Amino acid sequence: MSQYAGAGPTVHDPMTLPSDDNINNYTFCVELKGSQWFLQKGKMIAYYGSIDFNGIGHGRLDRLVRTSFHSPLHASDWVVAEGSGKMLLADRAFDVNSYDLEDGNLTIRSGNLLAFQPTLALKQSIVPGFLTLIGTGKFVAASNGPVVFMEPPIRVDPQALVGWADCPSPCHHYDHGYMTGLMGGLRAMTGLGGASGEEHQFEFVGAGTVLLQSSETLMAEQATGAVPHQAGVPGSGVPSTGPSPQSGVPRLPGQLGDLQRRFGL
Amino acid sequence: MGAAGGYLRSVAMFRLQGSKVLAVEMTGDAVKAKNGSMVAYDGQMAFKKLSGGGEGIRGMVTRRITGEQMTVMEVRGQGTCWFADRASEINLVGLQGDKLYVESSNLLATDAGLRTGTTFTGLRGASQGNGLFTTTVEGHGQAAITSDGPAVVLRVSPQFPLSVDPGAYIAHQGNLRQSFQSGVTFRTLMGEGGGEAFQIRFEGDGLVYVQPSERNTIAGDV
Repeated sequence: MSQYAGAGPTVHDPMTLPSDDNINNYTFCVELKGSQWFLQKGKMIAYYGSIDFNGIGHGRLDRLVRTSFHSPLHASDWVVAEGSGKMLLADRAFDVNSYDLEDGNLTIRSGNLLAFQPTLALKQSIVPGFLTLIGTGKFVAASNGPVVFMEPPIRVDPQALVGWADCPSPCHHYDHGYMTGLMGGLRAMTGLGGASGEEHQFEFVGAGTVLLQSSETLMAEQATGAVPHQAGVPGSGVPSTGPSPQSGVPRLPGQLGDLQRRFGL
Repeated sequence: MGAAGGYLRSVAMFRLQGSKVLAVEMTGDAVKAKNGSMVAYDGQMAFKKLSGGGEGIRGMVTRRITGEQMTVMEVRGQGTCWFADRASEINLVGLQGDKLYVESSNLLATDAGLRTGTTFTGLRGASQGNGLFTTTVEGHGQAAITSDGPAVVLRVSPQFPLSVDPGAYIAHQGNLRQSFQSGVTFRTLMGEGGGEAFQIRFEGDGLVYVQPSERNTIAGDV
């Protein structure tokens, strides 16, 4: 064993790997003992033991999917890991953390959710691009930089929002004063005089917890599946110009996130 | 260089400064490092580009043919030299006569006393999108490899074989057999795949380095 000793990092084997806990900030280890986990495709980096990965459409999983998976058109992004052993999860070297829900609910940006126990039910949030977990159990989520927990009332930057628990859905907040009047109009049209880039926030009120990441780098959006084409269903008809602007696309200074249009300027 | 003659067998000392910068202390000896990876040095250093990885004509030709090209420089001198590569995490590997298999793009620096070469990896290499060949490092000394996020080192023993996603694999050392596992079934073709269709299975005795991030591979979408 001393053969490999030296300045190298810690060596892990199935005995020393933690059970359902972080190995470091970026890698999470899940222990399976004949149990099942839902897993987003491609987030498993290595495993010991015998673990099967089956698509959601696998016939044997019908019952499980019926009770804990309510995003039918999202199904092709998820697999069920089943067997015994320890598997390592990671995502693009982002921070990963596990969270315990106890008879609660939590809504999370779909790209940030890596895995969850089937004791939780996954549902598509009516906020486009978000998923809601309901029930009791553990899930693993990724964020760019560590997650901080905040309590409402709070206004948060759209790109920093990871998710929220127990509180009602957020609404948009605009710095209205900044955008109106002659000077505001000029600023909006030309970008001169400075757009701080923070004229638009999500506002949370009520009791609950808001999860923020400590950077404004978004994870790639995962398709959450189409919603039924029905009147009254957000995002069903119109092309989504939803709450989160196209991730990663920088706004031109004069556009201010298309605010001028919303204020009729 | 004559001044260093007093050191019969001086070995460059590798140490990490933070997790993204490698500091090497040298007393007249040399290290091989990725071209252009030096960020700072003090003392006296000479940088010499080694064509074709410094393995002679044969090595150079082999690397050309196999696509495992490395542009390597030899750094020799007295003092401390710091290396870094695109802010990626650096992992130190100590070699005591065993062989390290690593992708040339992940190899940052090696002790000049270590031999580097090229080896055939077969399907595993292809599944990583890195070609069919990989770089080997052999001998006694230290090497530094880079990874996207800090690497996790996993021990493989006869009773605990390990399966690794090709996109997360960066290196392995020791006496390991690797085989390529494919879970491609009718379901995969129907778009109902398990998402982890290709894996490399390691059996034997040794260490495997994985990074908490996946390169884009042909297996990634299946």
